[in-house]
Amino acid sequence: MTLGTPPSALGRIARDVDWFVVILTIGVVALAMVNLNSAGAGTWSGKVMSQGRWVVLGAIAAVIVGALNYRVVYRLAYVAYAAGIGLLALVPLIGIKRNDARRWLGIGDYQFQPSELMKVLLVMVLARYLHDLPRERKGRPLDMLAPFAFIGLPVAFIIVQPDLSTSIICILIGTSVIALTRLSLRTILTLLSVGLVLFTLGWVSFMRDYQRSRIDVWLNPEAYADDEGYQTIQAITSVGNGGFFGRGAGQGTQNKLGFLPYGETDFPFAVFAEEWGFAGCALGLSLFLCLILWSLNVASRARDRFAALLAVGVAALFFWHVIINIGMVLQLLPVTGVTLPFFSVGGSNALTLMIGIGLLISVSRERKR
Amino acid sequence: MSSIHKPEDLRSLKPRLQAMVVVVMIAFTILLGRLCQLQVLDGDHYARKAERNFVDEVIVEAPRGRIFDARSRPLATNRPAYTLYVTPRPRVMEESDEPGAPRAGTRVPIDDDAIEELTSLITFVDDDDRAKFQGAIRSRREDKVNGIYATAIRSNLSWEEYAQITARESSLGHWVEIRESARRFYPRGALTAFVTGYVGEITPEGLENARGSYRPGDRVGKTGIERQWENYLRGRLGKRSRVVDARRRTVADPPPGAIAALPPDEDPIPGQDIYLSLDLELQRAAENAFEGVHAGAVVALEPDTGRILAMLSVPAIDPNHWQQPIPRELYQEWVSSPFKPFIDRTIQEHFFPGSTYKVVSALAALSDPTFDPEREIPCERYVRYGGRRFKCTHKHGPVDLHMALVQSCNVYFYTLAMEEILTLDRMEVFARRLGLGERTGLGLNSEVKGRIPTEAFEAREGTYQRGVRLNSAIGQGNVTATVLQLAVLYGALANGGRVMTPYLVDRIETHDHKLVFKSAPQQRAGLEPVANDDRDRIHAALIGVVNDELGTAYSERPETVTVAGKTGTAQVAALDRRRKKKKDDDELEIEGWDTTKDHAWFAGYAPADQPKIAVAALVEHGGVGADAAAPIVMHVIDTYLASLEQQKPDQARRRRPAGVPPPLPGQRRPNDGVSNRPELGAGEPDEDAPAAEEEAKAE
Repeated sequence: MTLGTPPSALGRIARDVDWFVVILTIGVVALAMVNLNSAGAGTWSGKVMSQGRWVVLGAIAAVIVGALNYRVVYRLAYVAYAAGIGLLALVPLIGIKRNDARRWLGIGDYQFQPSELMKVLLVMVLARYLHDLPRERKGRPLDMLAPFAFIGLPVAFIIVQPDLSTSIICILIGTSVIALTRLSLRTILTLLSVGLVLFTLGWVSFMRDYQRSRIDVWLNPEAYADDEGYQTIQAITSVGNGGFFGRGAGQGTQNKLGFLPYGETDFPFAVFAEEWGFAGCALGLSLFLCLILWSLNVASRARDRFAALLAVGVAALFFWHVIINIGMVLQLLPVTGVTLPFFSVGGSNALTLMIGIGLLISVSRERKR
Repeated sequence: MSSIHKPEDLRSLKPRLQAMVVVVMIAFTILLGRLCQLQVLDGDHYARKAERNFVDEVIVEAPRGRIFDARSRPLATNRPAYTLYVTPRPRVMEESDEPGAPRAGTRVPIDDDAIEELTSLITFVDDDDRAKFQGAIRSRREDKVNGIYATAIRSNLSWEEYAQITARESSLGHWVEIRESARRFYPRGALTAFVTGYVGEITPEGLENARGSYRPGDRVGKTGIERQWENYLRGRLGKRSRVVDARRRTVADPPPGAIAALPPDEDPIPGQDIYLSLDLELQRAAENAFEGVHAGAVVALEPDTGRILAMLSVPAIDPNHWQQPIPRELYQEWVSSPFKPFIDRTIQEHFFPGSTYKVVSALAALSDPTFDPEREIPCERYVRYGGRRFKCTHKHGPVDLHMALVQSCNVYFYTLAMEEILTLDRMEVFARRLGLGERTGLGLNSEVKGRIPTEAFEAREGTYQRGVRLNSAIGQGNVTATVLQLAVLYGALANGGRVMTPYLVDRIETHDHKLVFKSAPQQRAGLEPVANDDRDRIHAALIGVVNDELGTAYSERPETVTVAGKTGTAQVAALDRRRKKKKDDDELEIEGWDTTKDHAWFAGYAPADQPKIAVAALVEHGGVGADAAAPIVMHVIDTYLASLEQQKPDQARRRRPAGVPPPLPGQRRPNDGVSNRPELGAGEPDEDAPAAEEEAKAE
């Protein structure tokens, strides 16, 4: 770094902004938009453009959040969380019902999912709470109960919408954040086994039939080829059909001829894999991997605990979405409604992810270099 | 509470973060490994799987060969038609997130409302038809294995049905599809019903015997030429592949990679066209001659060659009926009809030949050296034999052989039988020499043999009575023959004693007019010829039948031409029993159908000096042969000779037998004509072809 005249405001921004995050984000968004164009009707119309508007909106949000000092976020965390819960509470009252599920709030022509925003608000509130805990105090049950209560409250709202996937994502993200500072290995293992028991109990008694059969279908899709297994089989076929170099943009038969349903929402990665092949998939995966690892890197060099927790939260946000969605496409996990960041259509989701990117930039500006 | 404003030492978090990095790396490695497995290692497997999704191979039906008459007028052709296909267990392709709603790709059986909606667009002939239609869809819907494929549910849709269904296609959904096909059409309807036969859906047994060369739902020849020449007519299926989307619709502009994956198309080979020897105008003349007759048959052929010129059995069912569902009522009517419209009376039914058989008896007697044809035998209207009276039609007085034939005197032949000049075995030899008792070799419609009794036969059957020889001598007793056999027999008398194998198929050509097969006249093998003198004697007597004032058919003689022939009046078996029955129960009487009346026969040929046509006609319960059957034969003869006269000036060269080379040994074997398929173009260059083409165009 050169000595001399102090840099101008613009120069300072240019110097402080984490260009690596910006470039990775632009890269992922670009691939996602090209892919969405393939998955949809094509020719950059309809859903692609509306998704584009949300991404632009999200980018503006990211710039604003990124420009903010994250201490503002620290101060607003509880308020924002409370507001988020308030919105969630509104959903059952005035929410818009689509296909039997009430998840959306209408704002003018736009429809918005508070549960999506909750993912990032949850990260904020957990970071604030965990930051505020006295460092020397350890292992108090009450201290552990509060963060799980922060997770449990929105999850309770979300699960009745019903939206199992978002609930699971919220739990995973929240737990990941907590895991950075508070959870011992023993606790994590305990939580895992409790979760497993709860899951089994829930599967037997609470879960709806369609959710239960998804597990059967996942394990043996060919037996359900004429029913729910079709989706899994076609997804695998699409991925395999891509081969090493892919079929080319807009040339995938599985997607273009309609054999692969849900190519815009839950299965965009199958579309991507068919058209771009193993080479493209490796590129896409490495963009996500770099983003996640960089977030963890930012966390390790954060100025304080709050910043580190935020960065880990953003990393978790991307990590769980990517792993669960692609795992599902590749038949490593059962089919759920977990989306792939930026690749799946969904305005609230894109906005939330962009806010996460903004938080990362904000934290990164003050990292130790 | 720690301050947010002071930097912190976070070294304690390092291990946790490192652990997280490890978890992330492991997770991504698993994803990449799985991708490598699917895309790089098993890529080809999934590429094939994807192809199976979008490649749809459609069988292309070959147009069935057509059937024409001798002057290239169509008797069986094809018309464009539409077939309705239904997939009773289609996939839902609408993407829905609704819990409980079927996800895209799920197969959901169509509901009853959908079936009802489709049913409402189709016109059914009766309730059975409707029930059968719905039943077919429903049973298919329950079939988890086959229900996922599009099945032909109804063929030959009417225009209205086609329009209605196409208009509603989008609201019905992609489980309904209409494909183009062809239906068989018989432009002459019942007129050529037994000759052309008809096509119908292949039976399960037929399917099994075909060992894969037919598919379920294929239409095959059931009777007539359609059945006999099935292998020539059917052609060969082609294959066309197309790119379809998930809704099984053809994709207008598929990705180039998809087109490259399509297997190559195979064009269908159209079936071969069959040109018959049948003359449609003569056939129609024969039909007109049968006006007012309930049941009967006539066969006309060329004596020199055996070419069949007309072949009609009434009543007949319009073969077009079989191309669509038949109302139960109509079918019941056919089944219960006393006129048995399913039976081809030219070859599938055998009758007592009656007096037409006397030519056989006469030839048999002439072969006995002790027999003197000039000897006169007095006819006193009956003879006594074995305690029974054997009657004659009149009291003829003294008659010799010639007059016995001319006047059809029974007593003359009874006497010869009593004198043992006519024995069963001797008559059998001559009956067989003239082609009776054996199939003629036409090979159509499961021909029956007829029956020529011998002493051994009568003994075996237990029907031997002392009078049976007498009855046999006048074509009763156990003697039976088909109309075709009698036409062949009188054709043999006309041509000087050669029994020809009759044939209907003149030639077979490919769709682009390459000659595949050409018939040549063929004399029946293994038959000893009739002695010329004897034949001439009979010939003279047959002329007398029509032209002698005492002849039985004198009243029917035509003015323009000399006809030779013989009347016959065949008593119906168990006639007496029926008479009795008739008295007992008061049946509804059908006009012109008196079952107590005898069958009327006439068989003959003309012109007598140089015969061009031989005809045999039977009118069931027509009464006396001269009144009922002779006019039919005369009309056919008149019509044919007049048409020959017309053609003579300019078309003489085109007519057979001019220009037709004599048959080579083994060139044609009519009995197994289907399997004995000559090489393409191996036949003689066909002079008739251009003329036939011109006429086809003029049609």
